[in-house]
Amino acid sequence: MIGWEFPPAKTGGLGTHCYELVKNLSNKGIHVSLLIPKRTENVKHNIPNVEIIEVGSVAINPYNSVRPEGNIFEKGYGWNFFEEVKAFNKKCVEIAKKKAFDIIHCHDWMTINAGIELKKTMSKPLVFTVHSTEYDRTAHIYPMNFIVDIEKRGLEEADMIITVSEGMKKQLMERYNADQSKITVIYNGIDSSKYFGLTKKDSNGTVLFLGRLTNQKGPYFFMHTAKKVLEKKKNVTFVMAGQGEQMPEMIKMAIDLKIINNFIFTGYLSEEEILRAYSTADVYVMPSVAEPFGITALEAIASGTPVIVSKNAGVAEKIAHCFKVDFWDTHEMANQIIGLLKYSVLKECMRRNSYKEIRNFGWDKVAEKTIEVYRRAL
Amino acid sequence: MTSVCFYFQVHQPMRLNKFSVFTKNSPYFDDNRNREYFERVSRKCYIPTNKILLDLINEFDGKFKIAFSLTGVFIEQCKKFAPEVLESFKELAKTGNVEFLNETYYHSLAALFSEKEFKEQTKLHKKAIKDLFGQNPKVFRNTEAMYSNNIARLVESFGYKGIITEGHESILGWRSPNYLYTPNNCNNISALLRNYKLSDDIGFRFSAKWWEGYPLTADKYASWLSKCEGQCANIFIDYETFGEHQWEDTGIFSFLKYLPSEVFKYSNLDFKTPSEIIKLNRPVGIIDVPNTISWADIQRDTSAWLENEMQKLAFEQMAGLEKYIKKNPELMHIWRLLQTSDHFYYMCTKWFADGDVHKYFNPYNSPYDAFINYMNILQDLKLKLGLNEDR
Repeated sequence: MIGWEFPPAKTGGLGTHCYELVKNLSNKGIHVSLLIPKRTENVKHNIPNVEIIEVGSVAINPYNSVRPEGNIFEKGYGWNFFEEVKAFNKKCVEIAKKKAFDIIHCHDWMTINAGIELKKTMSKPLVFTVHSTEYDRTAHIYPMNFIVDIEKRGLEEADMIITVSEGMKKQLMERYNADQSKITVIYNGIDSSKYFGLTKKDSNGTVLFLGRLTNQKGPYFFMHTAKKVLEKKKNVTFVMAGQGEQMPEMIKMAIDLKIINNFIFTGYLSEEEILRAYSTADVYVMPSVAEPFGITALEAIASGTPVIVSKNAGVAEKIAHCFKVDFWDTHEMANQIIGLLKYSVLKECMRRNSYKEIRNFGWDKVAEKTIEVYRRAL
Repeated sequence: MTSVCFYFQVHQPMRLNKFSVFTKNSPYFDDNRNREYFERVSRKCYIPTNKILLDLINEFDGKFKIAFSLTGVFIEQCKKFAPEVLESFKELAKTGNVEFLNETYYHSLAALFSEKEFKEQTKLHKKAIKDLFGQNPKVFRNTEAMYSNNIARLVESFGYKGIITEGHESILGWRSPNYLYTPNNCNNISALLRNYKLSDDIGFRFSAKWWEGYPLTADKYASWLSKCEGQCANIFIDYETFGEHQWEDTGIFSFLKYLPSEVFKYSNLDFKTPSEIIKLNRPVGIIDVPNTISWADIQRDTSAWLENEMQKLAFEQMAGLEKYIKKNPELMHIWRLLQTSDHFYYMCTKWFADGDVHKYFNPYNSPYDAFINYMNILQDLKLKLGLNEDR
């Protein structure tokens, strides 16, 4: 298996997915060699049957993507990043060639070139999980064609494709012409034992946003929603948790909208701080412009917090007990937030019912379904 | 002789407008959507089914009989959106073979919060039926067949001779629903119990391919009716079953067209209306129902409307306005329209995730959206009544 991140390094659903997947595959007796880029913090794990090989050194992550006008390589990814990706893929091929395995499993475009190469030289079937596409990551604003091309080639070469939602499957078929018969939808899971669950303190009027501050995650819409909520209801605190290129812009916007006194920008949060942020919030809002799945919504629910999610998020396909809203409809989002803050019965009904729903989201089931895909690929 | 007793419930709620916390000076009811629904159901159900029934009554020379209950909310919309439908009901009334029942004008849960409201809404409905069809109904059907000892006693005190409810095991035990029963502590009123098996065979299972009775034909159904022992077989279903819940291509209309002639092939069967059955038969026992039952869901209780905390809060807040509304009679009608049971049904969270029947009838994305919308409207009404806003 070739991945991109692994705890403690984590910027998106891919890292969580890879960690839980190899752990649960291991529980089912599958041996995994996982190749991932070396980070500043070393990976520590004690999962049996799993060997983690840290390859080279890549310091930049694919989500730090500012799309400047003019030379696209000046900021964001930068030359260095693409060179690193290339080097990583090359290294992965060299290492994997010396190993015995039955299946190659890649996650997203950063790893697929190595997968394609290995499939050719080793004649083993290739499984490709798409967690997000270039269109998602850029919120459809200036997607880089050469990344789209890599994704396209990966989808063509892969024997089996896994996506994290029906919406993503549709996108792959429509935008990438992917072969429907190869695609299996496997929704992400949640290990709810890590989170605080339904035990909760009284309401303190906190609304949480948690994610990278980039176009994709819709912080702009959260900001405008906050403005509308505050027109109707005074003592509400908006927490914008996470980092990203739009942080300065968001702070400026909060000042311009005269709502800065109701805002907390947390910057980077540790795992433990994230757990507390989820648990103390009265409502979690995920106004993503593009969201193939949206694990954070499950994490909030596992923390006993009701959620408002963007209609187009993959998680909205599977969770019934939440608010689903168009990301641009700040008016409706504000209406829902005020409802949740005003009526504790609404909040209670929703968080209890959604908490019941996530019982069906075990990672063991994700592993089972993935093994089923491996069987079909072999 | 077992009498087949058909009673059809005819109702369309007045669906609410999208009403956010920011909405101001906007009507509460969504006329466009209500018109759209009404016209569609008229086309698919009311007009063709009324025609079939009128033809059948004429064809069998008075031997085919039916009963209806039209809610006041339905009648109002009918006048506004499809007067020709109301005319066709009047045509049916003129045959003398159609009995109209009474219920609360607003298809409300009034019986669950105020005797006074319950009585007034019943009176309003009585007047509406009298004005339209010239009948003085003798049989009462409470919203969704909600029934308890207490409700039966009240309805008796209003002067009704019969009351309709669900013939469920929880109140009958081993006894058959095909007889009249006397409500506990009542003397002058009989309960007509719905034969839910035979009713649901048409209402729910008619087009269900998994069902061993499928396909249901008129001759098959008539043979089941002929095997019914008792005074009556009470087939009580939503009128929208014909053409709306069961689409035309399921064969529901031809089933209805051929049913009377198939029934008349059996010498032990005839058709009677609810008040005829009460006049001709004596109750065989007493039913004792301390807690309210209904004909809804598997539970047959009030949980479709008043189970979760949102439903309870919305209901309490609505009911709590009664004393303020009296001083503002111009808002009375609106307040009562907000009592229609459907508004609370939309907030039901039972099985919401499974996408079952609740969802099919729900104009909202979720019970949570339904709750917020209702509360926002109630809030607006409170402001109009000069009451303070919730914090």
